[in-house]
Amino acid sequence: MNLTTRTSADGKALTIQIKGKFDFNLVQSFRQAYAQIDNGTNKVIVDLRETDYMDSSALGMLLNMKKTLEDKVAVFEITNCQPQLKKILQISRFDKKFDIS
Amino acid sequence: MAAHVLIVDDQALNRILLSQMLNDEGYQVSMAFNGQEAIKVLEHEAIDIVLLDVIMPVMDGFETAKIIKNNHSDVYLPIIFITSLDDKASFEKCLEVGGDDFIHKPFDKVILNAKIKAHRRTRELSKKANQQKQLLEYHHNQIEREHEIVEHIFNNSLENQDGFKQHLDFNLSPASMFNGDMFLVAQSPIGNLYCMLGDFTGHGLAAAIGALPVSRAFYTMVNKGKAVNDIAFELNTLLYNLLPGHMFCAATIVELSASGKSISAWLGGLPDAYLIDSEGNIKKTLESQHMALGILDKHEFEYDLIHFEVNSDTRLVLATDGIIETTNKQDDFFAEDRFIATLQSKPMITCEDIIAHVSDFAQGLQQQDDVSIVLLNCLPLPMEEKPREPFSTLAFNLSLSLNSKQIKQTDPVYDIVNILSRIEGLNDHRSNIFLLLSEAYNNSLDHGVLGLDSAIKLQEDGFFKFYEMREKAISELKDAMIIIDIRYCPDTLSLHFMICDSGRGFSSQSNDVMSANNEFGRGLSLLEEIAEKVTYNASGNQVEMCYKLI
Repeated sequence: MNLTTRTSADGKALTIQIKGKFDFNLVQSFRQAYAQIDNGTNKVIVDLRETDYMDSSALGMLLNMKKTLEDKVAVFEITNCQPQLKKILQISRFDKKFDIS
Repeated sequence: MAAHVLIVDDQALNRILLSQMLNDEGYQVSMAFNGQEAIKVLEHEAIDIVLLDVIMPVMDGFETAKIIKNNHSDVYLPIIFITSLDDKASFEKCLEVGGDDFIHKPFDKVILNAKIKAHRRTRELSKKANQQKQLLEYHHNQIEREHEIVEHIFNNSLENQDGFKQHLDFNLSPASMFNGDMFLVAQSPIGNLYCMLGDFTGHGLAAAIGALPVSRAFYTMVNKGKAVNDIAFELNTLLYNLLPGHMFCAATIVELSASGKSISAWLGGLPDAYLIDSEGNIKKTLESQHMALGILDKHEFEYDLIHFEVNSDTRLVLATDGIIETTNKQDDFFAEDRFIATLQSKPMITCEDIIAHVSDFAQGLQQQDDVSIVLLNCLPLPMEEKPREPFSTLAFNLSLSLNSKQIKQTDPVYDIVNILSRIEGLNDHRSNIFLLLSEAYNNSLDHGVLGLDSAIKLQEDGFFKFYEMREKAISELKDAMIIIDIRYCPDTLSLHFMICDSGRGFSSQSNDVMSANNEFGRGLSLLEEIAEKVTYNASGNQVEMCYKLI
């Protein structure tokens, strides 16, 4: 599975980790990853530590997620980006909508 | 086996009498005429008992006895002096030079036999004791040598903890030569700092041995930039399979982000960890969440992590139970309260300070368990500039023509990027190459070949609708073609892409109309940013991109 979801021990953070490539092939599973989000969760972390590739469809999925969850979740993080992916996110001005590290 | 007796006497009569008696009893007999000769015989033959005359030419019995005892000190070699009953004056001297007994002339067969038997028994015991002593020495040397080798291996595999001086202060005090506690540090390729403090059951070599495979696996996983719970899972599986049932490893694994702003931690069985400020005030107590590593089977493993924000004023304190379980002469434990008070006793406390507090408390009592403490300062991590791979000097072209069957069945973008990544120097650029190819190819496929309209994405749930329509359209696709042509120019260090489709084309002008906020304009504007130059042909079914590698 190229996508794994984990909730932190205190239930407050949902982590979605993507392996390999983050593109339209993940449209369904990415949406499912946050569809059942707990009411107590106030932070979503998209962990790209093992993501090598992403394209604009991934950007679309991230924006869709934010739109869907905006009322429930306070913080959206995209973490552990490899340098080129971080640059893609910056070029796309995602740093205004997500905490990118 | 019969005892081997050496008769040393210059008088033939005595020799004959004695040897006769001994032969009758089944002993093996050798003979010498004086002391010097006796010493020679003893060098070559395995003699069990020496019957030694006192007065002899060349070398008398007193001198001979001294030399024999000196030469054969490892195993008891009994010397029985042959004396006359009336020569009591020399008895004392006989004992002084090392004699063990006397046999008096005239010889009594029964007494002689009894004495030889008794001394032989003592010699046999001495032999056994000597063999055991040698065996012990052998094992002792063997163990020393093995310890040296193991120590060498440990030092080599656990040594690289010395970097990160600004971030880390730690102290490990093993209770014996080998430490059952283990502290590992490593940095991932994107700059995150990983620390692992582990405490194996018990202490000494048996406890320490697990550190070897664990350190290996830990460094490998950090190098891959894995999450701490994935690392914990791997180590748990490793130890579950490796360690005997009663052994396990309590461990905390933490990852400090390269920005120094956040920590994620997997806590399995160590005492509470603390997040403190520079004054030592406890800002957060982190209790163990899970069982130690090596206890639960794969499918029972618990992945839950904790995440928390940190800043340059925060420090993370990790310790094994050696500290809180240190006792004083009154049998009181050092315990959590004293530990917390110690942390607050001084701003920016060091591990050395803490260990000093603990040993003051112990009042000189011997350390019972391995004691380890780690202070992690939550600071950003400097990124090391990785040396860039040199670029291949070989120019090449890569061309693909995909028909509808191949379009349906393959993922050409991913495969092409994998091929290009193997070219020297291009691997560093693979994410950008993927992005360029993916955008251009999907644009050709979605809009050129399949004729889908991105405006669908604007509808409620349109994003998902679009990909459903796309899947359906691909399955029905007939008579289509997409050509991909890639050219690598080492002279200009650039990659040229040409993607052409059999579709009706799209209007590149429409891209300007789309604002960057729209779902579908984003891809094409990304292309413009990443590539040096992007051009479309007039009919809009062909795009050319030039990407600069430096």
